[in-house]
Amino acid sequence: MIGRFREAVKLIWPEFYPKISGRLNPYFTIADYRKIWGIGITLLTATALVPLAVATITYYQMVQRLVDSELVLRTERVASNARRAVTFFFEERLDALKFTVNEIGFDQLTDADHLLAVLRNLRLGFGGLADLSVIADTGVQIAYAGPFKFEEKNYGNQVWFEECKQHNYYVSETFNGYRNVPHMIIAVKGLRPDGSFFILRATLETERLFQTLSSYEPGAHADIFLTNRSFMLQTPSKYYGDIFEKMSLPPLNYSRKTQTVMSIDNKLRSIITGYAFITTKQTGTPFVLMVVKQKAGMIGALLAVRSNFNWVVGLGTLIIVVVVTVLCTIMVNLLFRADRSKAETMVLMEQSNRLASIGQLAAGVAHEINNPLALINQAAGYIKDLFIIEKRYQNDEVIMESIDCILDAGDKCAVITKQLLGFARNVDTKIQKVNLREVISDVLIFHEKEAVYRNISIAVSMPKENLEIETDPGKLEQILLNLVTNAFHAMEDGRSLKIQASASNEEAVVISVSDNGCGIPKENRQKIFEPFFSTKPKDRGTGLGLAITYGLVKKLHGSISVESRENEGTTFTITLPICIREEEGKNEDTPGG
Amino acid sequence: MKILLVDDEKRFVILLSKRLALRGIDTDHANSGEEAVAKVTDHHYDVAVLDVKMPGIGGIALERKLRLLAPGMKTIFLTGHGSETDFKIGSAESAHYLSKPINIEILLEELKNVMGKSSV
Repeated sequence: MIGRFREAVKLIWPEFYPKISGRLNPYFTIADYRKIWGIGITLLTATALVPLAVATITYYQMVQRLVDSELVLRTERVASNARRAVTFFFEERLDALKFTVNEIGFDQLTDADHLLAVLRNLRLGFGGLADLSVIADTGVQIAYAGPFKFEEKNYGNQVWFEECKQHNYYVSETFNGYRNVPHMIIAVKGLRPDGSFFILRATLETERLFQTLSSYEPGAHADIFLTNRSFMLQTPSKYYGDIFEKMSLPPLNYSRKTQTVMSIDNKLRSIITGYAFITTKQTGTPFVLMVVKQKAGMIGALLAVRSNFNWVVGLGTLIIVVVVTVLCTIMVNLLFRADRSKAETMVLMEQSNRLASIGQLAAGVAHEINNPLALINQAAGYIKDLFIIEKRYQNDEVIMESIDCILDAGDKCAVITKQLLGFARNVDTKIQKVNLREVISDVLIFHEKEAVYRNISIAVSMPKENLEIETDPGKLEQILLNLVTNAFHAMEDGRSLKIQASASNEEAVVISVSDNGCGIPKENRQKIFEPFFSTKPKDRGTGLGLAITYGLVKKLHGSISVESRENEGTTFTITLPICIREEEGKNEDTPGG
Repeated sequence: MKILLVDDEKRFVILLSKRLALRGIDTDHANSGEEAVAKVTDHHYDVAVLDVKMPGIGGIALERKLRLLAPGMKTIFLTGHGSETDFKIGSAESAHYLSKPINIEILLEELKNVMGKSSV
């Protein structure tokens, strides 16, 4: 279970995230995996989310349009109905007064008792009538029925009197009268038999009108009220001011029909306003009917659905982002691993190629030097032969020493060129069964005396049974000899050398040569297999030993590695196949090292 | 024992020839494969010391020709390359070879070996 969890974490862990550095850096095809990762996530997320966002926005807009349309329709319907009711309210009362004027006539109406009887009857029919009065064409009130004593009051210079005189009907705005109660007046002009006119005027209490209006109130977040044409409130409003105050909504344009507008109110609420200028069939009125609905209140259910939808969209977005991120991480991880593997191979190849190139160069140089060297050698040898065999200058020490010096130098050059050629040589590989214990013993014989003299202990650790492999014994001996010689050079007197050999599996053996000498500095570990790299004093090493060893191990289809700690020691480990085919050995390319 | 030294480096064969002569060995020398063929055609040699890399007929090809002319003649190859690859190409599996620069004593030793094998 834990293993699976670890595998899953490994799969999605962004290995590429730390900046690439070190020796692999130049070999990566892609330098910035973070950027690739970021671009991948951005593009994939955008590809997935843009259609979702577009669909969501389109859906919202469509729903909003539908809802707005429905809200407008509903508001308009309420406004129309209320307009008809209010219009009917006034028309009904104006008709009643007109009927009274025509039917009863001036003479009877100016009779106080008769007028009172008419008032009672009208109250019974419509209710809300405060008083009735009859005004002569001079503007002087000549009859009155009602709670006050307004006889002989002159209305001749008042606006309503002039209005009614001209248009036959009159409907006033709401106002507070003597009783400080909101009311309004309606008036109707009648004609007398002599052709003069009189006016029947009624004071209406507004209670009945308010009731009519509130019966159309369309819900908790809605308001219905009347204003005059200057938008002073004529009835109380729930949200936009008290009666006789200026309405706290923007003014509206005149329209003969019921209209609907969408706007923002003074409290920044989105509202739909349905309005109608009230006009009766007899005359115009100063009233404007207003129906105001707050959208938020009307679409509460829709908002709840939208909230749920938002959650779904949000969750979907989150899932998309997570899936895209995980997928991108996995893909970039795979890409990164492949690239890293390639980079590691490139590093190995570069090292191998470098060694091969140096090898070829070394071989070429050695060959070119060998011929003139042979000439020097023979010339000096011949001079010496002449001196010794023909006994000329044989007693001249200076000349003899000089010739020996030339010969010695020639011999040293020959050793170097031979080593160079050995480094590059493609010698025959002679495969045969080799007993590792015997090979190791043979190699250690070379160092037996030195070990005793320098008090260096040698331990060989091997399995009891015979460990046999098929390989080239000569090359194996040279490999081990080089490693043991190197170890002896690295150790001070009194240290110890350990050689271990074992079968790592059915196909390979592992031989390690460990010393507890000076170790190899970290910066040199990469270079030790390169030809001519040496930390030994000039007279002790040519820098070819490990390069040749490397080449020989490759020749035997093996591998060599080194572990070292400064001042603690070094272990060279070679892995060799238990069995190699002779053809493989022969056809192997010239080793690079 | 008569030895034929063949190398395109004239001074080298002359010097080597003189050094061997000082040691009582009868030598002759040639500076090319063609010259060597002519000499072997006309004279008898016990051992031919051939440079592997020569302009014209190289050491390996020369050895094949000389073997036909003088089947009993032994051959020692000299190589400045130090590589034995050339010998795999040739048929002389038991060929002796020495890497340049050669030590006269080693050459003498090799000559002894060669002659010893032929029981001469």
